[in-house]
Amino acid sequence: MADLEINAITKRFGGLVAVNDVSFSLGCGEILGVIGPNGAGKTTFINLVSGVYAPTSGRIHFKGRDITKMPAHKRAQMGIARTFQIIHPLENLNVRENVMLGFIFSRRMGLPEARRSAEALCDSLGLTGLDREVSQITMLELKKMEIAHALGNDPSILFLDEVMAGLNVDETKELVALVQRIAKEHNIGVGVVEHVMSVIRDLTHRVIVLEAGEIIAAGPYELVAKDPRVVAAYLGGGA
Amino acid sequence: MTRALRIAIPAIVIAAAVLIPFVSGPYPLAVARSVLIYMALALSWDILLRSGQISFGIAGFFGIGAYAAALAVLKTSMSPVLSILGAGLVAGVVAFLLGFVILRLRAVYFSITTLALAEIFRVIIQNGGDFTGGPEGLVLPKLIFNGEAKALYWMALATVLLACMVSMIFQRSKLRFALTAIRNNELSARSSGIHIFKYLMIAFVASSFLQGVIGGIQLQGYGFASPDSVFDSYYTLLPLAMALLGGIYSTPGPILGAILLGVAAEYLKLKIPYGHLVVYGIIIVLVILLMPQGLFGLYRKRMKARASDGERAPGAERASGAEVRHG
Amino acid sequence: MTGPSLEKDSIVTDVSRSRLRRSLLWGTLGAVVVVALLLWKPTALIYGVQRAGLYAAVAIPMALVLGIVHIVNLAHGEFMMVAAYLAYFAARLLGLDPFIALVPVAVVMAVFGLVVYLLTIKHTLKAPELNQLILTFGLGIALSQTVNLMFTSQSWKLSLNYVTASATVGDLSFGVFDFVYAGVAIILAVGLKLFLTRTRFGKAALAVGQNPRGAAIVGINVDRTYAIVFALAVGLVGAVGSVFLTKQAIFPLVGGPYTMKSFCLVAMAGVGNIVGVLFCSLALGLSESIINSIRGYAGWSNIVFFAIIIGTILVRSFRERKA
Repeated sequence: MADLEINAITKRFGGLVAVNDVSFSLGCGEILGVIGPNGAGKTTFINLVSGVYAPTSGRIHFKGRDITKMPAHKRAQMGIARTFQIIHPLENLNVRENVMLGFIFSRRMGLPEARRSAEALCDSLGLTGLDREVSQITMLELKKMEIAHALGNDPSILFLDEVMAGLNVDETKELVALVQRIAKEHNIGVGVVEHVMSVIRDLTHRVIVLEAGEIIAAGPYELVAKDPRVVAAYLGGGA
Repeated sequence: MTRALRIAIPAIVIAAAVLIPFVSGPYPLAVARSVLIYMALALSWDILLRSGQISFGIAGFFGIGAYAAALAVLKTSMSPVLSILGAGLVAGVVAFLLGFVILRLRAVYFSITTLALAEIFRVIIQNGGDFTGGPEGLVLPKLIFNGEAKALYWMALATVLLACMVSMIFQRSKLRFALTAIRNNELSARSSGIHIFKYLMIAFVASSFLQGVIGGIQLQGYGFASPDSVFDSYYTLLPLAMALLGGIYSTPGPILGAILLGVAAEYLKLKIPYGHLVVYGIIIVLVILLMPQGLFGLYRKRMKARASDGERAPGAERASGAEVRHG
Repeated sequence: MTGPSLEKDSIVTDVSRSRLRRSLLWGTLGAVVVVALLLWKPTALIYGVQRAGLYAAVAIPMALVLGIVHIVNLAHGEFMMVAAYLAYFAARLLGLDPFIALVPVAVVMAVFGLVVYLLTIKHTLKAPELNQLILTFGLGIALSQTVNLMFTSQSWKLSLNYVTASATVGDLSFGVFDFVYAGVAIILAVGLKLFLTRTRFGKAALAVGQNPRGAAIVGINVDRTYAIVFALAVGLVGAVGSVFLTKQAIFPLVGGPYTMKSFCLVAMAGVGNIVGVLFCSLALGLSESIINSIRGYAGWSNIVFFAIIIGTILVRSFRERKA
């Protein structure tokens, strides 16, 4: 039984259809890649899953419950977490405090316990120097912090929105290994929106391809990468 | 700052504040009491500010509190002390009800709405006929504590301590995490499981409750409330400037700003009969441009810089697997 | 290429159809109100339109700033007040009629606005929005209190003979001068619309308003655009201030309510919708004048705008919930 079930989700903004009749499912421990050219609707997609947008039509089920109408903060409390494409690390809160948020508000821990848990989590991710301001940390540490922040919610589903952007080869490798480890250890279903194909190839079990708000292909990366429709979507030109 | 100092300094300050009535003449005492009123208002304003919402409506809830206290005493013969509490409750309830509508708004829409609120309340009270005393206002038969200056001062001091307590609760508990997260980025806050409306409401009601209590104290101390006097935008402008100058998002900041500007205000009022408020406008502009974190914020930054200098020493950070590059 | 969704063809018709429907609804409601007033209380209609003209004239420059520079100038009304005082001195000391002084006053105010912008507002554009709000709030206080300092809080008024002009229609007699405000508003609206859509700078300004980064990429000097637009807006509201002086009393705090009402009108009409401001002003002016004419409730007319803005907010937020 898949944990996250998306059924015929459509999102319309006025006359513009950003996501059109998308259906898929994601189970715990699975890593799903979401790829597609720019403007294909990937971020809208994540926003629909995490509750930032309400779908115009369609249903979302999480662990059997219909969460279509559930507001974003409740979804986070229930265990759907995500990172942001333009990272909005909360300033005026240092690294540790940023990570503590999910523990405090989704897991409803008291401050001391949240602090200990946040520190333990950061430790397991290799994130140190928790007293620093967010502006003082490196790019890789920022990504780790974002992931840690999302993990604070104790998620069963985690969507990573282009989290590899801006990292060099070594850093990307480290983060890929980290995501794999997290998915397995915490039994989380991970959705990875990415542009870097090597990451998708190494990390994901299967892939869905979005174009103009619709799924045009789905399956393991090797098959999808060769699909002529997918190639055309990225390179343009008629099919 | 060592633990001992952190307890000693506030203790000394409070002790000094308590003793002021014994060492000052009537005029300085009145000034000090006035400073305390504005100090409490500044603290109340800062509490809501921490959520990222600027209220220009301090005078509105202050005025509601004053009238609630006056009506409680005049119409129900409530004891003055109880009426002050009632003032806060009325203001809090009004804020709670209004909150469902106006807390949907953000940024400038919210702020302008609060700006209009004071005017709205004023007009409603002014047109309230005999019940609210209309444009002439209400007069109490007697002042609380018989108008004894020392008692009035300590009453104001107690209110400031209350405001400090509320402010510190907001700074030490998970409320601080919630409000700071909301202020910085609402989407991100939501994704941390924070129910934005709930925390905005808590801050708004707490802030308005305090303003109502302070209005009640003002009323009991002067025995008089009229639409033009208690809804005066003075009660919005001064606390705002004080909190800004002293340092927003903190408890010591508004206190510091109130002392500095409150004393200066008295001096200015004597020297400049018309338009002495221009100084507040200029101060607000200068602080925002040059020193938005205020005096206390500057102090905090310096403390943090000194602390992190110590952290950069080798061995202070545990070795991590990855190479650490200072970006 | 994978077929685009069928909806894409109907993007234009979908949006414009709902907007058309809405405009028709409001239009008919407005027409009904106007006709009712004409029959029942024509003076209220006239007074309402005149009031609306004044509100619109003050609000349109704010719409310009909000739409392009995206800042709310809480000192907007105070700039108008300063201009009115300038025009007052032009009248008293130089004998200039405010309509003649309008141009030099507008120019002086534009320069003043530019200076203020370069010294203060420009530096808060990158900072959190909170800073701009507080900054312009402080500016407003500084301006009104400086005037208070220099000229006390006494209210001044010119007594020009042409402002008492009146006309008689049937057995109805009313002042006609106040229609000049509506005239100014319409000139401003039309003038700005033409300026923004026909001139090179205007088009560039529109582009900056919609997408500053994109505009910068195609070579538009965004900083300079902001500065000029702000100065222009202050100049325009200065011109309105000069006209304001002809019939209204001026005092240091006179600008405050106009800032609030301007903002409410611009918010109601939707950012960037200059023509919409005209209609919303009409709604506000008529509502106020209707309340004013009801005996015993005249004192409430000043907060009509609040009721309207709350209503707009509620309606908008309910509409968003459904989306």
